[in-house]
Amino acid sequence: MPLRFVEPATVAEASAILRAEPDSKVISGGTAVVLMLRQRLIDPSILVSLSQIPGLARMSLVDKWLRIGALTSLQDIAEGAESRMYASGLADACGHVGNVRVRNRATIGGNVAEADYASDPPAVLVSLGARVCAETADAPPRHIPAADFFADYYTTTLATDEIVTSVEIPIVTGRRSVYQKFRSRSSEDRPCVGVAASACFNASGLVSALEVVVGAVAATPQRLSPSVTQSVIGSRLGGDVIATIAAEASRAIKPIGDARGSSWYRSQIIEVMVRSALSGLTQ
Amino acid sequence: MSYVSNHRVPGQLEAKVVRSPYPHARIVAVDAERAGRVPGVVAVLAGADVLSDGRQSPVFGRLRSDQPILAYDRVRYAGEPVALVVGTSLAAVEAARSLVDVQYEVLPHVVDAVEAGTASAPQLHREWPGNGCGEWAMRIGDMGAGWREADIVVEGTYYSPPASHVPMEPHCCVSAWEGERLHVITTTQAPHRVRQDLETIFRLAEGQVRVETFDLGGAFGAKGQTLIEPMAAFASRVTSRPVRIELDREEVFLTIGKHAATVRLSTGARRDGTLVARRIEVVYNAGAYALSSPHASGQGLVRSPGPYRIANVEARSVARYTNTVPTGPFRGAMTSQLAFAYESQMDEIAAALSMDPVAIRRRNLLCDGDVYATGERLHDLHYEQLLNGAASAIEWGENEPASSRGRSRGKGIALIIKTTLTPSRSEARLELQPDGRVTIWCSGVELGQGARETFARMAAAALDMEDGSMLVARPDTDVTPFDSSTSSSRTTASMGAAIAAAAADLRLKLTQMAAVELRVPEASIVHARGAVLVEGQGLPVTYAQIREGVGAPVVGEGHYQSEGGLSTMNPLDVHGTTTVHWHQGAAAAEVEVDRETGRVTVLRCHGGAYAGRAISPHRVRQQNQGSVIFGLGQALMEEVVYRDGVPANPNLAEYMIPSILDVPMVSSQSVESDDPEAEPHGVGEMALPAVAPAIGNAIFAATGVRLRRLPFTAERVLRALRGMDDLEPPVAAPPP
Repeated sequence: MPLRFVEPATVAEASAILRAEPDSKVISGGTAVVLMLRQRLIDPSILVSLSQIPGLARMSLVDKWLRIGALTSLQDIAEGAESRMYASGLADACGHVGNVRVRNRATIGGNVAEADYASDPPAVLVSLGARVCAETADAPPRHIPAADFFADYYTTTLATDEIVTSVEIPIVTGRRSVYQKFRSRSSEDRPCVGVAASACFNASGLVSALEVVVGAVAATPQRLSPSVTQSVIGSRLGGDVIATIAAEASRAIKPIGDARGSSWYRSQIIEVMVRSALSGLTQ
Repeated sequence: MSYVSNHRVPGQLEAKVVRSPYPHARIVAVDAERAGRVPGVVAVLAGADVLSDGRQSPVFGRLRSDQPILAYDRVRYAGEPVALVVGTSLAAVEAARSLVDVQYEVLPHVVDAVEAGTASAPQLHREWPGNGCGEWAMRIGDMGAGWREADIVVEGTYYSPPASHVPMEPHCCVSAWEGERLHVITTTQAPHRVRQDLETIFRLAEGQVRVETFDLGGAFGAKGQTLIEPMAAFASRVTSRPVRIELDREEVFLTIGKHAATVRLSTGARRDGTLVARRIEVVYNAGAYALSSPHASGQGLVRSPGPYRIANVEARSVARYTNTVPTGPFRGAMTSQLAFAYESQMDEIAAALSMDPVAIRRRNLLCDGDVYATGERLHDLHYEQLLNGAASAIEWGENEPASSRGRSRGKGIALIIKTTLTPSRSEARLELQPDGRVTIWCSGVELGQGARETFARMAAAALDMEDGSMLVARPDTDVTPFDSSTSSSRTTASMGAAIAAAAADLRLKLTQMAAVELRVPEASIVHARGAVLVEGQGLPVTYAQIREGVGAPVVGEGHYQSEGGLSTMNPLDVHGTTTVHWHQGAAAAEVEVDRETGRVTVLRCHGGAYAGRAISPHRVRQQNQGSVIFGLGQALMEEVVYRDGVPANPNLAEYMIPSILDVPMVSSQSVESDDPEAEPHGVGEMALPAVAPAIGNAIFAATGVRLRRLPFTAERVLRALRGMDDLEPPVAAPPP
């Protein structure tokens, strides 16, 4: 069956196609979908392009949220003034994906919808308490916390007819966020381990909030348990505290093994990279 | 530039290959009925169709006719072509490809070449028991005396994994029958070889096959042999239509790769660092079909002792069939695997004797007049200069790198020796055009190395004309004369010699014509700047004017032919002239190792080659840079991983090659002969085999750990730093 390519003009129209044609697949930048097509991992009969839907490539501040339209390219997020100001860890992560040619095509909506375990942005979105906005033809938009959005390898909690229209990040005054990526092979490789960390500090420089999320080591981003991150509230984020958290992260997370590193190796790297990311927060 | 993959012919059909999912299986049945019903599908062909159509040989292979055009009876590797779907559009054949129903009975398989040599290993070819695919040996001196003389003996086993050439352009071929003649346009480094092979397969007289090739988007050895052309030609014969096959990236991984190799090396040395004995055992993994392996394993044998004076050497080199992708020459052919062994071990010997790695090499370097393990007396050697150049490029012994917190720096050096294709033949024809320009007719292939510009430069120099007055014809076996292949770094030397001879012949003819025209003795005619002059007389007569006066083409012909080589020798007692000249290369590297993660960053890397008479210093530099970057991949990240006998990472998301961000500061040395008339040496792969051992030696210098298995992945380095066992090949694909 020849593959059909459709370009609906509205989200509602696109969603209606997804509902009517279960064998359809949404495409935005195409950096993931085209690869999967070429490797014959997917075999859809219709590609539903979002490229003609207006207004999905904007970044804006809405109430206390930074809303990033689903079609915003990763490169625009990496360089954007708002993203750098309110979600610098996300900007860092987007700037580490693939290479500039990929980043210019790949979109944030496509990135989250693909739910590739070995991708950079998802861990940061979880660490920042971001939410994914999904829309259909008729129902009101649904906001899904990033922590609940990624369900398994290449699997999200999106319904078949839901389309990601934006990713929203809460604006938290004084919050710092970082993302650090470890590549075990080429400089354009996916992460072997990616660590997202965010923290708030009080006037005396003591931790008032902390999140650590490790990406690319399991089916979904691995959030370090609040029992660990909460325990350092009121402490200074110094060498000993950092070392304890890093060791705890390495102990608590049971990583997978793949071509970028065995489970044993990832455990070693998680400790190194959590330490490095937390040090990054203090600089 | 034009590429075969951009070429279309009227009325052409597209074809896609159905490939075996199993490494070793009996083909029980091929059901093409559903696939054949897809609109646009013209034919679905399987091995049985080749067998029943008796007009061609069902199998092919230059050295051993062991590879089926399409598999019948048995498949011997995962990825082997089992059927070919031919149709009017790519979409149709793509859709139909998945509908071809092949039933298999799975057989036990073997992936490792050492294991393939054991008594209980699955056998791939009835005609070749023990999975033998080449066996060679040589011996010089008295091993017993050598070992007795040694104060220390260092032993080690060094493993290089299978790898993929990854040319940017995949293989592509368009085939058409024109009556009883076969016309093939294909991505090949050896158009005349492909012509000969197709003539043999399709039982045609010499010249009944025409092979053209365009510019290649990279080759690195992947396009040196007949591969997809027989399939396309068979399909074209059955359908009476032109048939085009273009591989996708995954299929390139499944069509040809690099020989994995296990090299066991024992070397005896005196306390002062003098090497006195060396035993070498090489096992190359040939993959499922022979291609060039029966011969190439012999080339490996000759190159295995390394560029050192060792009086007592015993070497054995075998290639074995396994249920893996067939292998062929890979830039630095057969040599990288050896250099990784002998240059890693050289530093191990130095460490055991507390000697400086440069000093121990200097003590043992081959020099003019030395006798090599083949018994050949060597000349035109330049290792001293290459070693000095490599050492100074990384400031050896000075500015010793400081190791900072958690990071260690070190430097390493390596040298290599390599033979070139011998015997071989190159022919060239230079034709003076009416406008005074000269067309170079030859079958040398432009594969990105600048062959065309090199040919123009050499012809222009020989004729004392401008480069811009040279036209270089595209290889087309109907009109461009014979050439063995554009490989083995032979083209500049051998085609260069043929072009020089053709230029001399053209001048001779012009001299004769001018002498008649001007009524002067031939001896009084001199050539300068595309014209002839009579000594002591008036105005020059241009070549164009002579051509006009003759009113017919003026053609000069020349050839180069080398003699000798391995095929004239007893394979188990190799002795004699194995090569027309010796390729010499060097590399040096400085690395930084992150002791917490094992990640190796190459800070600077140097490539050096002996160029003889360099035709273009710029292109020598580019080749050295290319060798360094290419070698970086094999050193740090490239490996085709087999899981249950199936290549598990046949794509560029999972098989890594270096990105531009991985490229260190690169330096280049072109060692050139003092003799302005010296023969040029090819430089396309001289530095490459030295890159991985130079990096391995630098890692050792930085950390004290010695890695005897490539690539030096971060995890492998970290395990070594922690004193853990070496890693098995990694799990390849992401979880389902």
